[in-house]
Amino acid sequence: MRIPFKTLKSTVGFFLLCSFVLWGSPAWAQSRYNGRLVLAVTSDPKSFNPILAKETSTTTITAHIFEGLTTVDPFTLKVIPNLAESWDSSRDGLTWTFVLREGLLWSDGKPFTSEDVVFTFEDLIFNDDIPNSSRDIFTLAGKQIRVEAVDKRTVQFVLPVKFAPFLRSLGQELLPKHVLADAVRNRKFSFTWGIDAKSADIVGMGAYLLADYQPGRRIVLRPNPYYWKKGAQGEKLPYIQKIEYVIVPSMDVGLLKFLEGSLDAYTMRGMDYPLLKPNEKAKDFTVYDLGPDMGSSFITFNQNMGVNSKTNKPFVAAHKQGWFADIRFRRSVAHAVDKKRIIEIVKNGLGYPQDSAESPGVGQFYCADVMKYAFDLDASRALLKDMGFTDKDGDGVLEDAEGRKLEFNLYTNADNGERVDVASIIRSDLERVGMKVNLQLVEFNTLVAKLTSTYDWDAIVLGLTGSTDPHFGQNVWRSSGQLHLWNPQQKTPATDWEKRVDAIFEAAGQEFDEGKRKAYYDQYQKIVAEELPVIYTALSARLTAVKNKFGNLKPAPFGGVFHNLEEIYIK
Amino acid sequence: MTRPYERMGRYIIKRLLTAVALLLVMSFVTFMLMRLTPGNYLDTLRLDPQISKDTLAYYEKLYQLDKPAWQQYLFWLAGLVRGEFGYSFYYNVPVAKIIGSRLGNTFILSFAAFLLTWMLAIPLGIWAALNRGRWGDRVAQFISYIVLSLPGFFVAMVLLFWASTTGWLPLGGMESPGAEDLSLWARSWDMFRHLIIPATALSLGSIAALQKIMRGNMLDVLGRQYILAARARGLPEHRVIYVHALRNAINPMITLLGYEFSALLSGAALMEIITSWPGLGSLMLTAVRSKDIYLVMASMMMGGVLFVIGNLLADIALAKADPRIQIK
Repeated sequence: MRIPFKTLKSTVGFFLLCSFVLWGSPAWAQSRYNGRLVLAVTSDPKSFNPILAKETSTTTITAHIFEGLTTVDPFTLKVIPNLAESWDSSRDGLTWTFVLREGLLWSDGKPFTSEDVVFTFEDLIFNDDIPNSSRDIFTLAGKQIRVEAVDKRTVQFVLPVKFAPFLRSLGQELLPKHVLADAVRNRKFSFTWGIDAKSADIVGMGAYLLADYQPGRRIVLRPNPYYWKKGAQGEKLPYIQKIEYVIVPSMDVGLLKFLEGSLDAYTMRGMDYPLLKPNEKAKDFTVYDLGPDMGSSFITFNQNMGVNSKTNKPFVAAHKQGWFADIRFRRSVAHAVDKKRIIEIVKNGLGYPQDSAESPGVGQFYCADVMKYAFDLDASRALLKDMGFTDKDGDGVLEDAEGRKLEFNLYTNADNGERVDVASIIRSDLERVGMKVNLQLVEFNTLVAKLTSTYDWDAIVLGLTGSTDPHFGQNVWRSSGQLHLWNPQQKTPATDWEKRVDAIFEAAGQEFDEGKRKAYYDQYQKIVAEELPVIYTALSARLTAVKNKFGNLKPAPFGGVFHNLEEIYIK
Repeated sequence: MTRPYERMGRYIIKRLLTAVALLLVMSFVTFMLMRLTPGNYLDTLRLDPQISKDTLAYYEKLYQLDKPAWQQYLFWLAGLVRGEFGYSFYYNVPVAKIIGSRLGNTFILSFAAFLLTWMLAIPLGIWAALNRGRWGDRVAQFISYIVLSLPGFFVAMVLLFWASTTGWLPLGGMESPGAEDLSLWARSWDMFRHLIIPATALSLGSIAALQKIMRGNMLDVLGRQYILAARARGLPEHRVIYVHALRNAINPMITLLGYEFSALLSGAALMEIITSWPGLGSLMLTAVRSKDIYLVMASMMMGGVLFVIGNLLADIALAKADPRIQIK
């Protein structure tokens, strides 16, 4: 019987590899190459293809398998080298040259070259057949970035216009040309490395590879035998030999499984704190507090003056639009919302009041020095009185000068328990100053439809995800953005301050000097806090409970608990 | 005069034809309900600041969400005729690939519950009938009443709570972490431990109901004249009970067996969601929530087909078992 050459080769390779592991690493490291880290995810991955990935349950997994040219320091948020060891830019900031590290290998042992970088951009991201959101990031002023290989280890990017978050964006995961070129040619890429893929086919540069995926049950990762990063004394990484993500249907199940002892870590909600904190000693784990969350949570009012083209009716009744567009009204609301109570009740005291459009969780671009609105019901009432609101009939609800009751609908999505609680607190706060608020809990889809297509809402309590570079929030802040919630997709800015914010985003997006960029983004945060298109409430604390069994654990405010997973080992 | 087999064949064909019509109506209603409710699959993407309008429009075209509902329905139907169940937006693979493993998981749970129900309920019913009015019977009937009045999901929650306080059984899911490294025996044992709570919660109510029916049937038959006659002829008691009485008492149960079969795959949905069993039910819940329309359609059709087949099998089995029943 003949053994197929390929099998033989891989078997020999495997033994070589094992002996390399035992041989190439110092004796103290030997005991570290074992164990399993068990984590939870609340839904199945949708793909193992990082280019097609659209949401976090997918990127949680692909982040282990794929890497980019640059990465971000988890402690300082500065851009640091990853697969590229160094880079240089031309004086005009349009041409960037990257030098790749020497001797990089894909997880199948083939060399990683500049061709792979060119392939990822030119053939995947800018391929019209392939739907992906990276294209939106790398298309600047309507033109695409050009990527060229200079030699095997050098790659050049030519930008159509200056683009400040460029280096940070190059965290973009890179994919192997030698594996995927055929799929692209046959127009099959959009169906490649989906959840039905064979785990051995998926080739990456990350510390881990896919070992096994069982829908609805688990995702198991194994070490990449060719991983490029080495330990402090040149020993092989990663240490932990299996990462298992248990798929749980909800956070509550995750919490129970953590208490049961079958999970090694659990990302907590504020409400879990009283249950977990007292058990730290008995169950041998530690709760890490990594500071405020990156996202946001706010109430916003509809200032859209548009008219529904089918029914010929305004999206919002004209008199209500008039109230909402009046800055005194929005400031009155800001004074009436009791952020402290929200933190106490909804987040069990584990939260931070939010005043600025960026969260302190995003690091350097956060501006603390913005206008703050203290919880002050008298100030709130005074502003309403100034607008002409009085309670004429003595029923506790104010009326405007024309006698219309100050009444509106407040929407939020019913499936987000925390958000519903925030909305009811806001409602009771606003009722104290004489507004009549009808809380409407709707399906998430209904809420999205109201925000992005029918525009028939008065007020909404919502949250949006944040990112470490404010530039990526421009869809929300530019007056032309479709997520410019209070008055989306404007042809020309409706107000002076929106015009100023537009200009800031335009300028900051092309400014490479970090200090000047920060000045721009500080200015935008100040304007937003003054004009209050959205009124922020409170941010959650990022809490993670981790079992006390890991070595090299260095929780970082921006990277989380396991940002250096490849160096972590089980004691 | 036609022969019975021919008659049966014609009956089955007639039933299958009505089944097709039934499934068509069902699929149409489901499809329209999915389309008429506000929003579509792309809604979660719409709230992502990093995704542009063009990308959204591209997806809309790709998934044909820009076409009118009836066109989409016909398109789906045409695919079904060719044996294609459509494409899942959410998972980006053909629906058939997702449903397979989930169907298997649901089947494991349902079959375990099914076995548990029938293997306990039938003997219990017989035993209760033979010991009618005695202590054991009274206790069994009393407990059955209590169980019958408790909804299954509540039982599951109580069991889960009990498991979380004692730590004796795993809390939901289908296996423990690290299961893929275990031997086949250890894995089966692990899965068995995970099965106990959902299977018990799923079958407890049916056990109570079925044993009551069985007991009633048995008592009814035991009071008949032919049993008296058999006893009078001096047949041994076990022959009287197990051959003469049981055979007649079990007849109505055969119909129930068919219905239970049809409920096998559809009935476990709620329990799956509560005990995080990765079956068809929990898949369907996420599919409906994320408006993954073709995945919902495929799961619905799967349940519908099984229901129709189960009913048909029940009727045929009954006709076979009871010569008094005529099929037309």
